[in-house]
Amino acid sequence: MQGWRVGWMGLLLLGVGLLAVYLWPRPKPLTTQPSPPTVVHPASPLAPFAQRAVPVPEDNPQTPAKVELGRRLFFDPRLSKDGKVACASCHKPEFAFSDGGKPVSTGIFGRQGSRNAPSLTNVAFRRHLFWEGRSPRLELQAVGPLTAHDEMGMEPEELAQRLGAIPEYAKAFQEVFGEPPTLKTTTYAIAAFERTLLSYNSPFDRYQAGDDKAMSEAALRGMELFFSEKGDCFHCHVGPEFTDDEPRNTALYTVYKDIGLARATGRDEDVGKFKTPTLRNVALTAPYMHDGSIQTLREAVQHYNQGGQPNLNADALIRPLGLTEAEVDDLVAFLRSLTDESFGTNPAFLPP
Amino acid sequence: MKAWLFLLPLGLASALAAPVELKINLRVGDQPLQFAQTYQTPQGQPYQIELLKFYISEVALVRPDGREVRAEGLVLAEFKREAPTQGVSVMKMDVPAGQYRGIRFNVGVPRELNHLDAGTQQMPLGVNSGMYWAWNPGYIFYRLEGVALLPEGKQKWVIHMGTDAFRIPVRLQDLQTRRVQINIPPTGGSITLNLDVAKAFQPGPGGAFVDWRKQSLRQLHGLSPETSLLMSVVYFNMQTAFSLAN
Ligand code: HEC
Ligand code: HEC
Repeated sequence: MQGWRVGWMGLLLLGVGLLAVYLWPRPKPLTTQPSPPTVVHPASPLAPFAQRAVPVPEDNPQTPAKVELGRRLFFDPRLSKDGKVACASCHKPEFAFSDGGKPVSTGIFGRQGSRNAPSLTNVAFRRHLFWEGRSPRLELQAVGPLTAHDEMGMEPEELAQRLGAIPEYAKAFQEVFGEPPTLKTTTYAIAAFERTLLSYNSPFDRYQAGDDKAMSEAALRGMELFFSEKGDCFHCHVGPEFTDDEPRNTALYTVYKDIGLARATGRDEDVGKFKTPTLRNVALTAPYMHDGSIQTLREAVQHYNQGGQPNLNADALIRPLGLTEAEVDDLVAFLRSLTDESFGTNPAFLPP
Repeated sequence: MKAWLFLLPLGLASALAAPVELKINLRVGDQPLQFAQTYQTPQGQPYQIELLKFYISEVALVRPDGREVRAEGLVLAEFKREAPTQGVSVMKMDVPAGQYRGIRFNVGVPRELNHLDAGTQQMPLGVNSGMYWAWNPGYIFYRLEGVALLPEGKQKWVIHMGTDAFRIPVRLQDLQTRRVQINIPPTGGSITLNLDVAKAFQPGPGGAFVDWRKQSLRQLHGLSPETSLLMSVVYFNMQTAFSLAN
């Protein structure tokens, strides 16, 4: 019985995932290359989802040398104005590439941002980047932090000069791109590295791969709830990546201080809309939500259970759920089962 | 058959095309702008300008009969510390020699170019321009940055104007009177514009102004309720910030 239900659940999940993949708008033609040097940790079993090819844009094919260059750049604080901030300062491997416990991050000269740094788990599969989801791909997204005055604060010329003056970089860029470093090629190399940040070794993945013991009873009950109309999480946290990549208002506040998507569109109906985040490795990425205002997974689930705050833009799916305390615990156990402990220790993802 | 009849004027025009240079003087009020010099806003806030970059596109010269002669091209005008601010050549074009009654252009990137994939575009577009907006698709059209000298010390401020709603139309033409006369001799010439950078700080409706004492207003680049009114004020002011020199 249990097996049958789980099989069905798997099918449903796969179906929803496939449908989502099919329906997701693609900003530009993506070639699914014969799996690039996909760095899966040796410990990873062949989880079903791990076998999907990573989408790679035509103008930035993956090569081992490019990925390696991207990795060096990702961890190098010399890419910032004050020489102290790297991508990895806010996207730390041990916290699934989020900012470990910090509600908001600190950039150059101690400047504070206003948003929570998202996890980069399987970020290759995100079709919309940033909390409002307005950036179409990793190459272009990386321009944001490199130039933002409260993150790394570089001008294109300054970055090109600084990297060009470092012999190892001058040589590596020449080899990989056939030209000296520029802001553009820097972002292309970093994006190539980011596309290798794959994580499919959670208890949930091992369960999907056929290991019946991988998940606890509580996590299995939580999984049922997550994918049921009662918990109703799966409409937004959909597919293998647990996100529809769409901006949604989850009624976190009645009055949003950060207005989300409306910041870009100026439209009232977009106030409070933020992109659904992935839930993979979510146990490693506290605190939660766009502003890091929720401390624990239990509080996050309680937020949904209570139906959020009164808000005109709230998504129709947000309503009091009537979950018992035990059911809340089960959902939390399920969220914890999405944790891939090997992700943060994979040597391919650590500083070179 | 009669195709040559149509080609004739074309041929004549190109034969008479004269090279014209578009030049810019940066001003604060009627004074030449100097980087690192301290100025005051109308509200008495001391500030310095550090950087100005903007796109010019859809340039056309206006003939006395109102017809327009378009000049192809999109340029990125760039001004920064230790670089000249007066008589800076920003664009070269070829137009038929003759009399004109004005010039018009947009500050911004044309809509059809603004939303192409920035990764695949060349300068002056593309991410190396320093004008790509990352969190918002498209380019910053007008990028003005400086510092405010506040009691607590120097604070950086930026005005990043962009999105299709904020493409700034500049119309420096006058067909009614003879006040505007641009004479382009067959050997070519130049057109010089003054840009009063401080126009941005003129107060708007109800006296609204960019008050750098408020941290949220030091980053003017989005459409949040807090900043959108001021974006509109700056946008409105910028339409009259350019004038013909001499
Ligand atoms: C100072 C901290 C900080 C630094 C440095 C930083 N980031 Fe981020 N990152 C953030 C924050 C905060 C967000 C969310 C911003 C938003 O959505 O407005 C973010 C978002 C992202 C996203 C979007 C993820 C998603 O799912 O939408 C990616 C990808 C990313 N950063 C990669 C990078 C790269 C690559 C670098 C280095 C070039 C970098 N970051 C440097 C803090 C930082
Ligand atoms: C209407 C779509 C929607 C539904 C339904 C939904 N979520 Fe979310 N979820 C989101 C969005 C959007 C955010 C980010 C909201 C924000 O930051 O303001 C989010 C954030 C979260 C976070 C924080 C993740 C992080 O990295 O910050 C967790 C945990 C979470 N959801 C779990 C759940 C669970 C469990 C359910 C079911 C009880 C659920 N969600 C139902 C859209 C949804």
